[in-house]
Formats: sequence, structure tokens, C-alpha cells
Amino acid sequence: MSEDRELDGVLDVLSDEYARSILAEASTEPMSAKTLSDRCDASLPTVYRRIERLKEHDLVEERTRVKPDGGHHKVYTATLASVSIELDDGEYETSVERTDRTASLDADDAADRLTYMWENL
Amino acid sequence: MTIATTPIEWAILAVSAASTAVGLYVAYQAYRGYRRHRSRPMQYLSLGLIILLGVTFVSAFVGSLLLRGGVVPGDYRPGFTLLVRLLQLLGVAFIAYSLSLRG
Repeated sequence: MSEDRELDGVLDVLSDEYARSILAEASTEPMSAKTLSDRCDASLPTVYRRIERLKEHDLVEERTRVKPDGGHHKVYTATLASVSIELDDGEYETSVERTDRTASLDADDAADRLTYMWENL
Repeated sequence: MTIATTPIEWAILAVSAASTAVGLYVAYQAYRGYRRHRSRPMQYLSLGLIILLGVTFVSAFVGSLLLRGGVVPGDYRPGFTLLVRLLQLLGVAFIAYSLSLRG
């Protein structure tokens, strides 16, 4: 049943329009709450509340980015890849797939190293 | 119509072709990075590199063939050079934009 409960939670978060748009924006590149608030046309407190909920379900990943002036701020990346529900023969087959960006970067692969290097430039 | 006659012309051609090949290899890795991680900075980096190295090389090559062969009058040479330089500018502009794609 734990998988079903996980899906309940994920669907519950995704039923929220702001959470969906935050997730969509954060799927293109890591973004600060301020940027997300601008892009999603939502207030900063709204963005933070949605991010908290998304984090509870591991749908976004939080990272600290150091700014050139020495300060730092948090950036968020969507980790949701897909949610699928299939109904077959009286049974639901459900799955939530996530992408783990850092884990998926392979140190032996030129494309991955270049992506990491360029994005962190 | 000859592509190159003197050894130095052949050398110029070979070096340009080699730098294009290496540049396109980097562009290809950037493209793979874009596809694999849905990374927009990588998308623009690969586009920029392809324009900067691939498109300009091909147009410079085809252009000089046309000019040498007399298909296109020599008067067009400066305009043609400008076109290639504009393509280079477009390529680096894409790369610069890719760097500005930050959260």
C-alpha cells in the first residue's frame, strides 16, 4: 500500500496549479524561489509553501548556489520524470519516476562532464 | 575549378576542416548533454557551436568555391565575408545567451 500512498501524495501536490507551474519551470534549469515567483506569477510565500510540499514528496531538489559576491541562495530543480497510472484487469499499476540529476551525471562521459562544467560556470 | 592549388592553400583547408571537426565534436557532446538532462544552457551551447563552426565553415567553403569558379562575381566577396562574420556573431551570441540562462 505504501506505493499507493506515495501516489496519493504526489497527485495531491500536482492537483495544485502553482505547484505544477513551479515544477515545470524548475525542470528546465535550477531556479531560485525569486525567479520561480516571477515566472509563475505567484507570491514568494506561495512559492515557498509549494516548494515545501514538493520537497516532501521528493519532486524537487534543493541546492545552495554560491554567488560571485560571496553570498549564497537556494536553487530548486524538478526531479519528477513521470507519473503513470494504468488500469488493467481490475488493478491499478502506478509508478512515479524521478530523475536524479547529480547521480545521473557520469564522470566518465564527456557529455555529462561538459554539462556539469558548463552549467556551473 | 580547384579547391586549393598551393601547399599553403591545402594546409589552410586542412586546418580549417580539422578545427571544424573538433568543434563539432564538442557541439555533439553539448547536444547529448542537452538531450540527456533537458538542459537549456546545453541546447544553446550546442546550437552556438554548430553555427560558429559548422555553418560558417560550410558557407565559407561553398562561397569560396563559387567565387573561385567564377560562378559568383568577385564583387560579392566583401558582402560574402560580412555574411560569414555575421554567422560567427550569431554563434557566439547563442553561447553568451547560454551562459546567461541561470536560475
